Amino acid sequence: MTVGKPHPNYITVYLWLLGLMGLSVAASFLPGSRTLAVVVIFAIAFVKSLLVAANFMHLRFEPVAIYAFVLIPLLFLVVLAAALFPDFVWRALIR
Amino acid sequence: MSAHVEAHGLPGGVTAGKVGVWWFLASEIMVFGGLIASYIVFRLGGAGWAESSHHLSVTLAAVNTLVLLTSSFTVVQAFVAADRGDVRALRGYLALTILGGLLFLGIKSIEYTTEIRAGFTPSAGIFWSFYYTMTGLHGLHVLGGIVVNGVILATAATCVKNPQRVELAGLYWHFVDVVWIFLFPLLYLA
Repeated sequence: MTVGKPHPNYITVYLWLLGLMGLSVAASFLPGSRTLAVVVIFAIAFVKSLLVAANFMHLRFEPVAIYAFVLIPLLFLVVLAAALFPDFVWRALIR
Repeated sequence: MSAHVEAHGLPGGVTAGKVGVWWFLASEIMVFGGLIASYIVFRLGGAGWAESSHHLSVTLAAVNTLVLLTSSFTVVQAFVAADRGDVRALRGYLALTILGGLLFLGIKSIEYTTEIRAGFTPSAGIFWSFYYTMTGLHGLHVLGGIVVNGVILATAATCVKNPQRVELAGLYWHFVDVVWIFLFPLLYLA
């Protein structure tokens, strides 16, 4: 429960989010390997989503039970992606 | 004869309301996650997607990202205001959040108009079908969030007595922000 509890420093989190947004746009112009740029861009997106979930959505203050609501659907998504992956590999092989 | 119904939450002080919102968000993760997973698989398996995405405006999308991140900040400040019983600040931050949502939709509609005028309709190719489906569904969620925040704004005087209502509405708004955090690089940057 987060009502009536001390709040994290939301301004610092917000400034981090803005900085990371700028970095991800800059990363899209990285010279050289496109794969490297894509990895950097999605790593930044992952960190941004963690910052929002942990601080703005107060996940870091919630009991473990609440994490199940996030982790179980994410697990289903991994299963879904794994099920679709052979299709991608097959397309690459026949191209 | 009267019946008394009591909603139970989870151990650790998690209320039934919060369980309900997180349960709803779990189903939303599957909705957007399914779309995103399909998009990634199609994009990895097909050619010409990067070329299509070059027709999108990274500048407008970056401004929209800034708008949504800022509105996430204002909605969390609305919760802080409600938590300390400041109804005036609560109204101000909620109004700013709603304004952010409207601005986001306005910019998105400019993007849609430009793209459709250039011939990039939803039937112009599989990239565009995914683009309009994912951003359109996300836009509908932004619209839903504006309505929810509007209800909280209209009942602000009650909400300062029960700040958790503001927190729960904020959870949904932050989720919409998190979805955009992934849609932005997926559609515009990668």
